[in-house]
Amino acid sequence: MNAPVRPLSILPLLVALIVLIAPGAWAADSATAFDAANKLYEQGRFAEAATAYGKLIEAGPRSETLLFNLGNAWFKAGNTGRAIAAYREAERLAPRDPSIRFNLQFARKKVSGSDSTHGSLASRALAALTVNEWTMLAGVAFWVWMSLLAWREARPDCRSAVSGYTATSGLVTIILVGCVAASVAQLNQAEAVVSVPDAIVRSGPLEEAKVLHQLRDGAELTVLDRKDVMVAEQKQTWVQVRDATGRTGWLKSDHVVEVGGIRPAAGLR
Amino acid sequence: MMNNRHNVMLSASGFCRRWPAVGVALCWLLVAVKAVAAPSFTATLDRNVVPVGETVTLSLIFEGATPTGAPPLPQIRNVGVAPGVNQSSAYSFVNGQQTSRQTYGYTLIAQTVGDVVIPPMQVTVGGRTLTSAALALKIIPTSAADANAANSISNLAFLRLIVPKTEVFVGEPFPVEVQLYWQNAQEIRMPQLQAEGFSVGSMPKPAQTRTQMGGAIYNVAIFKLTATAARSGNLTLGPVEGSLTVLIPVKNQRQSRDPFESFFGGGQQFQQRPTTLASASVPMKVLPLPTQNIPEGFNGAIGNYQLSVSAGPTNVGVGDPITVRVQISGRGPIDSILYPSQTHWRDFNTYPATSKAETTDELGLVGTKSFEQVIIPQNHEIKSLPPVKFSFFDTSSKTYRTLTGPTIPLTVRPSGVAATQLPSLTNSASGNGPQAADDIIHIRPRLDASSAVAGPLYRRPAFLALQLVPVLVWLGLFASRKRNESLANNPRLRRLRDVAHRVRDGLKELRTHAEARQSDQFFALLFRLLQEQVGERLDMPASAITEAVVDERLRGRGLSEAGVKTLHELFQACNVARYAPVQSSHELAALIPKLEGVLQELQKLAA
Repeated sequence: MNAPVRPLSILPLLVALIVLIAPGAWAADSATAFDAANKLYEQGRFAEAATAYGKLIEAGPRSETLLFNLGNAWFKAGNTGRAIAAYREAERLAPRDPSIRFNLQFARKKVSGSDSTHGSLASRALAALTVNEWTMLAGVAFWVWMSLLAWREARPDCRSAVSGYTATSGLVTIILVGCVAASVAQLNQAEAVVSVPDAIVRSGPLEEAKVLHQLRDGAELTVLDRKDVMVAEQKQTWVQVRDATGRTGWLKSDHVVEVGGIRPAAGLR
Repeated sequence: MMNNRHNVMLSASGFCRRWPAVGVALCWLLVAVKAVAAPSFTATLDRNVVPVGETVTLSLIFEGATPTGAPPLPQIRNVGVAPGVNQSSAYSFVNGQQTSRQTYGYTLIAQTVGDVVIPPMQVTVGGRTLTSAALALKIIPTSAADANAANSISNLAFLRLIVPKTEVFVGEPFPVEVQLYWQNAQEIRMPQLQAEGFSVGSMPKPAQTRTQMGGAIYNVAIFKLTATAARSGNLTLGPVEGSLTVLIPVKNQRQSRDPFESFFGGGQQFQQRPTTLASASVPMKVLPLPTQNIPEGFNGAIGNYQLSVSAGPTNVGVGDPITVRVQISGRGPIDSILYPSQTHWRDFNTYPATSKAETTDELGLVGTKSFEQVIIPQNHEIKSLPPVKFSFFDTSSKTYRTLTGPTIPLTVRPSGVAATQLPSLTNSASGNGPQAADDIIHIRPRLDASSAVAGPLYRRPAFLALQLVPVLVWLGLFASRKRNESLANNPRLRRLRDVAHRVRDGLKELRTHAEARQSDQFFALLFRLLQEQVGERLDMPASAITEAVVDERLRGRGLSEAGVKTLHELFQACNVARYAPVQSSHELAALIPKLEGVLQELQKLAA
């Protein structure tokens, strides 16, 4: 006699099937969409290609290839600010990728006309590895440290022999955990890039506020604050920014695209 | 010597005692000096248009200054001055600012029709010479409407509509004055002006004065407003209509016996008569603006103006703001002047100008409108700010005029980062350096699945759980070491645990021996377990434990009689087994519960 099949009993099986099949289906769909976006790019329809890459980024996990191509599409479409934002996002995922670094440098040079490096030596050193790479390094150092500590407990007679290694591995672990924290903080530092030809920086988050200065497309900024104001029953979002020369002021949020930080991929849509 | 020092100390201490009060007084004086506003001298007329024979009040107002007496008036053509001067003073202290106001009132009598100019007057107060502005007074003939005031009501109350200028252009504001006269009246309502084809402001709050006319004293309410013709042609302004209740004096029929009542007017009686008053209409000739020679930037301004322009800073970088300040001063509808659009500022980004109007007359027809506009130079080749141009229709010359501001030189330098003019990339690759690439690296043809990043590692539970493994191992080993160290330092505890362990294992072994009927091994082990447990409780070597110890040591430790008895039984069973070792499996197994019970009781005894 066969026992009757209960509907609930096959639920885990269905879930497992969905979990196994869904990523494969997404990969197939995304590959097709990626090819279509590349085709648009090759046809010179750069803005449409950028929109297509943006949709792929929204739909699935971020990838430096998508972000790199998105940056190229924006650059060719004449929107240097959005291109820089996309390259920087790609650089965060693959900081030592020479193609990304070259294109980012190329776009920056178009904006400022110089080859000057961005950021301090410490921040550039931190950015040489991804957060995950720093985390892996710290994890390995932690395991080594903990293993030595355990060895000391298991073999008290060997304590003095491994004490130097234990102290060193502990110090290395602490330093690497600090690097992870600094790298995460750097990643969460809200940054933005001007994405309109002329962005007006004002002294306050109001249209009537005094004009302080003007920023060009592609100017890279640090976001200090964010404020929503209601104007004629419509919400306007303003961001307080600081530019490379230390000047601060308020910009309309739709004049910039943000790189990571508060809304990691918002600006790339 | 001592005395002198004592005096100095006294005076110093006296100053110290007094200085807070002196300081407060000095501070108050400083504040007071700062708070008192700069003195001013103003001359005003209660109305600017007056019919022949009527009086008008000229007020000389001093603020922040007090002259020694009533200033003498200059000779004024067509006007006589009635004897006597009304003097009033007022002091106010508002928001820490003290103001004194001294007013001298002169009654002027209009004698001849015509335009009268009261010249500027100079008065020296406290060593400073103050000057008033010139005033204009128009004396008009008594109108025909006033001549109709033959009946008794018109004598008691009437309305006048006075329009000094009857030929105007479309859009040109002109002053209108409504004068309401009455001797005794109540329930006075706001007059209404009929003005078809004109745009008239709302009726303002009136100024009130008194005037003498035909031997009678009238109260006069003066409404000053402006009107603007909306279309050209021959139009009619007015009449003005208003209503009030006139109080007509009537002869008292009853003769009062009180002489004081009639002396103070208490005996006067009035008849109330609701009345509607109407003034005469004024015919107006409204001319259209010329359609020839209209300047390019004309945006409807009409009047007579001057232009003043300034800009700063003039040394800026590309993208830095420059504020342009434009002031348009003169006579005309000041508030409605629009900022002149500057179509030739192509090299600048311009932003909407802010404006502020300041009028110096009560009708808002004289004053200054100030504009501030932010402009941003777009390249460093700009050398100057092109002149601001402002066009208007001059009503006095009846022509269009264009005022041109100065050309302001500018120094615009290339800006720093992010606001610079975009340099050519090819220019930067000059000299012996490597040739710069002229384009970006092409897109990637394939989407590498391995490049997709799901999220940071430090947020993944599996990664975090993995990091717990060495921690748990280390903690386990650490705890084990601590336990071993603790046991090593406490022999009794170590023996306690050791014995408990042996008892636990021994009981299992006993059951095995019982099942196998291994009597010798069974009793040997039983005896050893009893020795171990009793020895551990009594802190004695196990080999020293015999049956005799049970009575000697254990009784005094609180072991129950049943326990003692069982112990004896077990020891004796061990002794008997030496001589008669063969016992059944059942008999051996029956001893195990007894042993378990007594061992448990022993373990509960205090060590």
